[in-house]
Amino acid sequence: MRSYAAQRAALAVIQLAVLSILVFLLTALLPGDAADMRFTETLTPDQVARLRSQLGLDEPAIERFTHWFGNVLTGDLGTSLISGGSVADIVKASVGATLVLTLATLAVVVPLAVVLGLVMGTRENGRLDRVITSITLALSAIPDFVIAVVLITLFSLKLGWLPATWVGGDLPANPALLVLPVAVLLGRTVCLLSRQVRAGTINALNAEYVVQARRLGVPRRQLLLRHVLPNAAVPGVQELARTGDTLLGGVLVVEAIFAIPGFATALVDGVETRDVPVVQGLTLVLAVAALLINLAADLVCNRLVPRTELLR
Amino acid sequence: MIASWRARTPLAVSVVLVLIPLLVAVFGPFVPLEAKPGLPYESGVRLGTDGLGRDVVQLLLVGGRTALGMAVGAVAIAYLVGGTIGLVAASTRHRWVDEVLIRPLDVLLPLPSLLVISVVAVGWRASPPAITLTVAMVNVPTVARLVRAAALDAASGPVVEALRMQRESWVAIQVGYVGRSVLGPVAADLGTRITLAVFLVASVNFLGLGLSPTAPDWAVSVSRNREGVLLQPWAVVAPALMLVAFTLGFNLLADRLVHRSRRTATEVVDR
Repeated sequence: MRSYAAQRAALAVIQLAVLSILVFLLTALLPGDAADMRFTETLTPDQVARLRSQLGLDEPAIERFTHWFGNVLTGDLGTSLISGGSVADIVKASVGATLVLTLATLAVVVPLAVVLGLVMGTRENGRLDRVITSITLALSAIPDFVIAVVLITLFSLKLGWLPATWVGGDLPANPALLVLPVAVLLGRTVCLLSRQVRAGTINALNAEYVVQARRLGVPRRQLLLRHVLPNAAVPGVQELARTGDTLLGGVLVVEAIFAIPGFATALVDGVETRDVPVVQGLTLVLAVAALLINLAADLVCNRLVPRTELLR
Repeated sequence: MIASWRARTPLAVSVVLVLIPLLVAVFGPFVPLEAKPGLPYESGVRLGTDGLGRDVVQLLLVGGRTALGMAVGAVAIAYLVGGTIGLVAASTRHRWVDEVLIRPLDVLLPLPSLLVISVVAVGWRASPPAITLTVAMVNVPTVARLVRAAALDAASGPVVEALRMQRESWVAIQVGYVGRSVLGPVAADLGTRITLAVFLVASVNFLGLGLSPTAPDWAVSVSRNREGVLLQPWAVVAPALMLVAFTLGFNLLADRLVHRSRRTATEVVDR
């Protein structure tokens, strides 16, 4: 267990180093820079050139990278080229809404998926299993934004029960703001996860040790919770890490639809104004988060069933 | 038991669900239909007009090409690149080739896909090739691992050894035997992968990061006309239905294939 964790963490460090280079490259490749984007209409080419050297944009890419990477290692993400504020502050300001949204969704998704998966898995091909399977299969084929449009039309425009946008709303004072965004994010993640839990449950139920435990007369509840669930959870937890990607994509869409001032909004603004330090900072923080989730998922799986191989 | 449930959603339903949007996307632009423009969000004639007063049916016929074409193209490229990497990695005799090909992809796996695509899409605004390529690149690591895993068994089995003894060429072995044995898992994966690619492309376009806001693309139509959904629902519902029919049909087909390959897999084990 210890050596697995060490190996896996070492891989994560390598991943992190490569990811930061990728993030830098991706943003450095964007056509046009901040000086171009803001000033071509009002300034002469000469002034743009001076601004560029003032912002340090005329240095070679290698130099900019070592400079940026050195600062990142000390925890300094740089300053915005547009507002002049620190990137860390921009990240902090936008992370709240996204985090609340993601955690609220996970808090609903995980228990729901486990329960649905167990219910389906223990009644393999029974009536209930078939009904839930059909619904989840159908639901997982509908794009997030279509669900969002349908829900907003129904609950905000027709019935007027729930707010359709966060504009002018305040989250702590009005938790109803969360309902529709979370409902949109719920759809596909629950489908993907519960199907994995279902498959895991069916596999575990057919495993020899469970058959033996049954033969020995282990009570059903104990059998499910102690013997089946940890093994059934492995594909679920691994899927959860991959679902993180789906969820994040969904969060970007949902933020745009409900005008939520979160990560996605900040990111799109940053890319549009070629505010490279902001884009790099936000992308890096997100990539690190995704990496940590993957790492945590692998470690949890290894704890649940200590025979998972290192990533292959 | 399984068969009885599957019999209730017959193959024909999934095929029709996929075919309708597909045919509209491929042949729609050639349908000689007279466009009937009108006022914004006008209902009545056929399916009415959209927010810019354009004929919804006309838009529907033209808008599938980008919505499905970019996704299908991306998956094709992903399989061309990722499939080759996976096949080579699985069949090589040198362990280091395998490591060099697959390890870098492990690093790419945790990169959030919509994030990468958003950055590229905004940077190279309204460039379908750029978005298609990025969606393809995002899919390469998973495809490569899938193909590698599926090919590994076949590539290290006795059949390949026999073929090598008979001096069959490397290409002939790969394409003729290993590649064919990979087809099952690939076909099952293709369904979900195309669905995901359609989602990604549609999300980028819906967010307004990809194609221009006046493009006839289905996802763009849903996005732009949603404010008028109560006045003229068809402008939103029709393109949304097209997208959902396509992904739903592919999901059902993939589910069917997964079950079939699982059944043959267990049959082999039983024997």
